[in-house]
Amino acid sequence: MTDAPVSRIRNFCIIAHIDHGKSTLADRLLQDTGTVANRDMQEQFLDNMDLERERGITIKLQAARMNYKAADGEEYVLNLIDTPGHVDFSYEVSRSLQACEGALLVVDASQGVEAQTLANVYLALENDLEIIPVLNKIDLPGADPDRIKEEIEAIIGLDCSNAIPCSAKTGMGVPEILQAVVDRVPPPADTVKEPTKALIFDSYYDPYRGVIVYFRVMSGSISRKDKVLLMASKKTYELDEIGIMAPDQKKMDELHAGEVGYLAASIKAVADARVGDTITLVNEPADAPLPGYTEAKPMVFCGLFPTEADQYPDLRDALDKLQLSDAALKYEPETSSAMGFGFRCGFLGLLHMEIVQERLEREYDLDLIVTAPSVIYKVNMIDGSENMVDNPATLPDPQKRESIEEPYVRMEIYTPNDFNGALMGLCQERRGDYLDMKYITTDRVTLIYELPLAEVVTDFFDQMKTRTQGYASMEYHLIGYRKNQLVRLDVLINGERADALTTIVHQDKAYNVGKALVEKLKELIPRQQFKIPIQASIGSRIIASTSISAIRKDVLAKCYGGDISRKKKLLKKQAKGKKRMKAMGKVDVPQEAFMAVLKLNQTP
Amino acid sequence: MSAPRSAYVHIPFCHRRCFYCDFAVVPLGDQAGGGGGPGSASIDSYLEQLHAEIALSPQGPPLATVYIGGGTPSLLTSEQIHALLKRLCRQFGVQAGAEITLEMDPASFDQHDLQALIAAGINRVSLGGQSFDDGVLESLGRRHRSDALMQCCRWIAQACHEGELRSWSLDLIRNLPNQTLEGWCEQLEQALAVEAPHLSIYDLQVEPGTVFAWRQQRGELPLPDDDLAADLMASTSQRLRRAGFCRYEISNYARPGHASRHNRVYWSGAGWWGFGLGATSAPWGERLARPRTREAYGVWLTDQHQAVHRSLQRQSAAALPLDDRLLVGLRRHEGVHLFDQARACGWDERSCNRHLPALERRWTKALQQRLLLQEGGRWRLSDPEGMALSNQVLVELMCWWESLPADVVRTPSP
Repeated sequence: MTDAPVSRIRNFCIIAHIDHGKSTLADRLLQDTGTVANRDMQEQFLDNMDLERERGITIKLQAARMNYKAADGEEYVLNLIDTPGHVDFSYEVSRSLQACEGALLVVDASQGVEAQTLANVYLALENDLEIIPVLNKIDLPGADPDRIKEEIEAIIGLDCSNAIPCSAKTGMGVPEILQAVVDRVPPPADTVKEPTKALIFDSYYDPYRGVIVYFRVMSGSISRKDKVLLMASKKTYELDEIGIMAPDQKKMDELHAGEVGYLAASIKAVADARVGDTITLVNEPADAPLPGYTEAKPMVFCGLFPTEADQYPDLRDALDKLQLSDAALKYEPETSSAMGFGFRCGFLGLLHMEIVQERLEREYDLDLIVTAPSVIYKVNMIDGSENMVDNPATLPDPQKRESIEEPYVRMEIYTPNDFNGALMGLCQERRGDYLDMKYITTDRVTLIYELPLAEVVTDFFDQMKTRTQGYASMEYHLIGYRKNQLVRLDVLINGERADALTTIVHQDKAYNVGKALVEKLKELIPRQQFKIPIQASIGSRIIASTSISAIRKDVLAKCYGGDISRKKKLLKKQAKGKKRMKAMGKVDVPQEAFMAVLKLNQTP
Repeated sequence: MSAPRSAYVHIPFCHRRCFYCDFAVVPLGDQAGGGGGPGSASIDSYLEQLHAEIALSPQGPPLATVYIGGGTPSLLTSEQIHALLKRLCRQFGVQAGAEITLEMDPASFDQHDLQALIAAGINRVSLGGQSFDDGVLESLGRRHRSDALMQCCRWIAQACHEGELRSWSLDLIRNLPNQTLEGWCEQLEQALAVEAPHLSIYDLQVEPGTVFAWRQQRGELPLPDDDLAADLMASTSQRLRRAGFCRYEISNYARPGHASRHNRVYWSGAGWWGFGLGATSAPWGERLARPRTREAYGVWLTDQHQAVHRSLQRQSAAALPLDDRLLVGLRRHEGVHLFDQARACGWDERSCNRHLPALERRWTKALQQRLLLQEGGRWRLSDPEGMALSNQVLVELMCWWESLPADVVRTPSP
């Protein structure tokens, strides 16, 4: 591996919207620099988790070091730091941007800039990164690079005269991109002589070596023999190994300012080496850590229950293990009268929640029921105390509480202006307060609203996409708590309160939500051998009710030699559905029913 | 497991395909027939293949039941049927007193044909009547009408009365579009009036690719709702019980001594031979389904000449796996004895004691709801509630089966 003087290092990342070709371009860069031989190329090398590859998105960032012989005949070291492409992980994005001096802004040459891209570009500009616009998918028939250039110039104010046209798929433009990284991205500051500070921008848990920490040396150097101090967690470690990602891990003796690498030090959990923490040396510690460290705070909460009670210890073990690799995951035991023992879990957002659920089911082979996501409410009690409630079922009774506050976000929706009306309607339905509408180009606008987070973590994103044929994109951040007239809406199944289905809704919407909810549950809960009343109530007042009639016939009419296999398939399918059900009293309730409250708007 | 004593022979030819049918059939047109009429060349060449397939089979002990089904086997001449029976006799032997059933379509024979078929060796008839209502018959795409059906029933009943036939069965389809409870009860009365000692009553299944599926997609198939469907089934069971029939299987009713021995083989877990395109055999516990088209069947048969399929070759082997045995066994009036069935599958006492109680626990709810009845080690579905909801019991069975360790599930060797 080339020794790298600071002047010949370039650290950069790729900012792109989902589907705009970030991973394909990253693969192409690795190939063109000979970092990964063509035969070893897995599609989308940087997305390591199966889940990521399946969903075509990057959840956890990775990094890769490439050697590149530039036009001046010199060997350069290019470090590509990948960034996650989802709003749930914006903090991780900000840390990886801090580790770079430049960014490729990859925009689909037919689709243009999206809200998430915009948010990350602004973040990159704030971090003083050199931004190189790249127009991808230039080979597709719908590509209109001139229009998109104008759009980027108008929206971001970025000079696009030297934007690079490219097709990551065919490889066109890739050499130009590599040369531009060398020419236009500034080298890191030469701070090799200063006290050591390294920024952790990612980490993952390896069952054999403990936590593997990805870092960028911001100043000084780290050698394999050093003893390090993590300044936020205040823990010290002897290093087992340090090295670079090429992109497979390759051990090195020392890494100095400007370089990007990994270390292993038998760290037990990622919570001990959080993203944003500063690594320094125990012997010559830095005075102050790098700025900007915060602990990830969960925004969305839900209950996780095993479908079979005897899987509870397995679920606990699985969460314990998962937390080793996911510092943002929070959980504590929850007991539900209807569901038995489970856990109340906190997540960064809905995607994070889905990922955790899928990993628990896939990697730990658990059958889970996940309750509808909720936010954390601030309840001001009559006695003057304050109560933070992350589980709707535990909302104190009305006579004990003075008021309820709920978290609000500032939401920016970026859309072709044809869909203005539809989106304003959506925000209105979701109790949004209109702030502003900005025309960015002649036919694209940004809508700015303040919205209760609870309305966003339901199906807001899906609705936005549906109502704009997929064209709109969104970005939001938390702005604080506001008082609202909120009530607790309970659901009774077969006369018993199903606490896992309790939601908190605005008083004005309670009646409609209650009515829609019982109808949706009627649709989702399979008929059973007896009639099942379904009711919604506020306090002791029933506000909506319906019932599921008893099933009386469910039988295979014919079953002779030839068709047993086919009939068995049908039964097996039913059996599989049954595994995803939770017995609540006498009633078997399927997983979908717990998400019913999110699906009320799907059949208008 | 002992050698199979039953054989199914598939005759795929029909005049035309009925609107609800997705079986392996070859429609030949309304004028077709086995005796030199249109399509007879096709029939001849198929029969050649069929004879060849039977001849390829390992020889075995004499058959106790033979079932010639279809399709419309009554399209064949009595000589052709006779030749087939002779072929089976040469290959396996046919036991004295064996049950030899032929499926017959009311539009394809007269009294003379019936006599000839009896002379050829047939002693039980399964008549595809389906309905006594001309409007219904037309809407099903059947060729025959009620008058012809009644006439056929009289001929068959007479042959039965005179001892030329041992028994006969009438097929009816229930749960049809626009069906009412009164309308169905009227059908049942007519079936009782023609004195069929055995009734097979199947609820209409809308299968993909059929005319009915197409009508359903267009919203033109007003089937009875679930409640009415349950009432139709329950009233059938009650009426036939009063008339002296036993519901010996979910869809089959018989007067004492008239249950079909051949059909019972399928639900008992015993093996059977199968011949012809689309036919399934399971001589030694492993099912083998033949290709469903003429061409593919021909190719398969050529391959058989080179190497007889291993499921046909083995002279002794495992029984059907336990889940299959329970699944089909529970369809019967007498249900299943759990431990006996498991032992018949080669389970040892330890496996039985370790795993069967979990199934019994899963079935407790159904037991409390009286869908299942338990007598000693025997479990059976109640009639009509349990039989109407048998899938609920079977789904528990599947859940249990899927939860078993792999070494238990695997069909044990003898």
